[in-house]
Amino acid sequence: MNSRERVLTTLNHKEPDRVPYDMGGTVVTGIQAKAYRRLRKYLGLPEKEIVILDILQQLAQVDDDVMEHLGVDVRNVSPRSTASFKIEIKDTPDGHYHYFYDEYQVGWRMPIDGGMYYDMFDHPLSGEINAGNVERYVLPDPLDPARFAGLPAASRKVLEQEKRALVIGNISAGIFELYLWTRGFKDGYSDWAGNPDLAKKMLRKYVDLQMAYWERMFEVMEGIPIDVVQMADDLAGQNNLLISPISYRKNLKPFHKEMFDYIHSKTDAKIFFHSCGSIRTLIPDLIEIGVDILNPVQVNAARMDSSELKREYGKDICFWGGGVDTQKAFDEYHSPQEVRVDVRKRLDDFMPGGGFVFNTIHNIQGNVPPENIMAMWETLQEFGKY
Amino acid sequence: MNEIIATLYNAIMEGDVTGAQNGVKAALDAGLEPGSILADGMIAAMKEVGRLFEEGDYFVPEMLIAARAMQSGLAILKPHLVSSNVKAAGKVAIGTIKGDLHDIGKNLVALMLEGAGFEIIDLGVDVAPDKFVNAITTNGVDIVAFSALLTTTMPNMKNTIEAIKKAGLRDKVKIMIGGAPVTQAYADQIGADGFASDASRAVSLAMSLV
Repeated sequence: MNSRERVLTTLNHKEPDRVPYDMGGTVVTGIQAKAYRRLRKYLGLPEKEIVILDILQQLAQVDDDVMEHLGVDVRNVSPRSTASFKIEIKDTPDGHYHYFYDEYQVGWRMPIDGGMYYDMFDHPLSGEINAGNVERYVLPDPLDPARFAGLPAASRKVLEQEKRALVIGNISAGIFELYLWTRGFKDGYSDWAGNPDLAKKMLRKYVDLQMAYWERMFEVMEGIPIDVVQMADDLAGQNNLLISPISYRKNLKPFHKEMFDYIHSKTDAKIFFHSCGSIRTLIPDLIEIGVDILNPVQVNAARMDSSELKREYGKDICFWGGGVDTQKAFDEYHSPQEVRVDVRKRLDDFMPGGGFVFNTIHNIQGNVPPENIMAMWETLQEFGKY
Repeated sequence: MNEIIATLYNAIMEGDVTGAQNGVKAALDAGLEPGSILADGMIAAMKEVGRLFEEGDYFVPEMLIAARAMQSGLAILKPHLVSSNVKAAGKVAIGTIKGDLHDIGKNLVALMLEGAGFEIIDLGVDVAPDKFVNAITTNGVDIVAFSALLTTTMPNMKNTIEAIKKAGLRDKVKIMIGGAPVTQAYADQIGADGFASDASRAVSLAMSLV
């Protein structure tokens, strides 16, 4: 069974030869540059320049030799920036931060001394705004040919040469995330309750952006099978949803449904949907609107017990993630043995009947020792067979 | 509950800014004591908001607009509070710890503390230990509250407490901490006076510390 067959079998709720493994298949199932550098060294692989795939999270591009060594079953092909956009990283005059503005005019900064990620500090639509501001706000061009250049060839290589499953990435973060990033968290969440019409106006704009992108993507990829389409929207925190279920169903779910219906009408790809946190209450809604795969499956969040999730939703949705508790059993304060115990439990809970792709719960962070990453991987090798 | 107070209370619960402002005006016009208007019509409402949030019935958006409505009412009430000598519940200097840029959680705590009648000095994000120390000496705060979202920045919580100790101010203030990776055990370990797991519980903690 090759990698692609393995992944497709499990995504169709059947048991393949073993649990498929993902590292770097999406921007939420990857590895931070510091951890990656140490992992390469630990595996005795040649030192090389690490390519940063995602600047915000400082994710490393996983090289071919690591993918071979670890038997990674998926490969990501994602759109590029527009031809006109170049990230210009500058330093603040006080010498404290690196910073840049992205295509959406959101400002990001990272402490120069010991910084781990870029975080937002400027939002183009925060403060007192009205519908006119939203209408006049200029979005990047979703159809710029530069975004799609080389994608068919890269995709064919994944499918035909590597025989891995093909994951196509999105043009941006989720629509609700983009709404919060451009409006600012405080104003964005306030409007969600206090001015939902304005919020929906912004969401409409972002849906149109993403729909235009996907329409072009499917045209460009005509005749090339896409296995997984990666979508996202963070809807929950550690203990609860971030927005009420009523507000999700009334004001956001229809937009998600519109996009997922469109994608399902154009491709046989499975829809991978990422939401951190205690998302349990909305899982039936997500299943209803056509989500095929749930990620990252944050088992340490409230009401997200892995055995309960599998029992209740396992026949209707696949779990991509959930492989090791990254909060409580994975970082430098935990031993490889603790990692093994946790991974064993997640395999026991998620494996039966297929519908499970193994990944850590979200990206591997910079402080995770390579010993723990390999303890996780070795446990998967030993106990991840059907 | 007095009907005028109830109207004000409900306006805050629903995040109705105009309703809150009108409610305060009506209460003042009716000759109600500013301190009672604050305590029964506004702080009580925010306390209920906090309870509903802890119960999982109110979410971040509902909490934010309730706090906003309260603040808009408070702006009208403030001069009356001053002139009738109503004191704040306490003074809190709050910030996100050095190296950490995350602020929505810290902002929520600040809003809820204001909703409970505390005076807030918000130091922002990436706050160095000596900036917390300065806030104490300059403003005479009762509580210092700091937040971290990253395990890598948590050590600066300890450094901040050490800086406060070194400045001879440790017994002049109470210290409370919070943030996603922070735990009660960590608070105990570094000698903080308390830990709260969300914005609503932060209010209960602050009230117990003053």
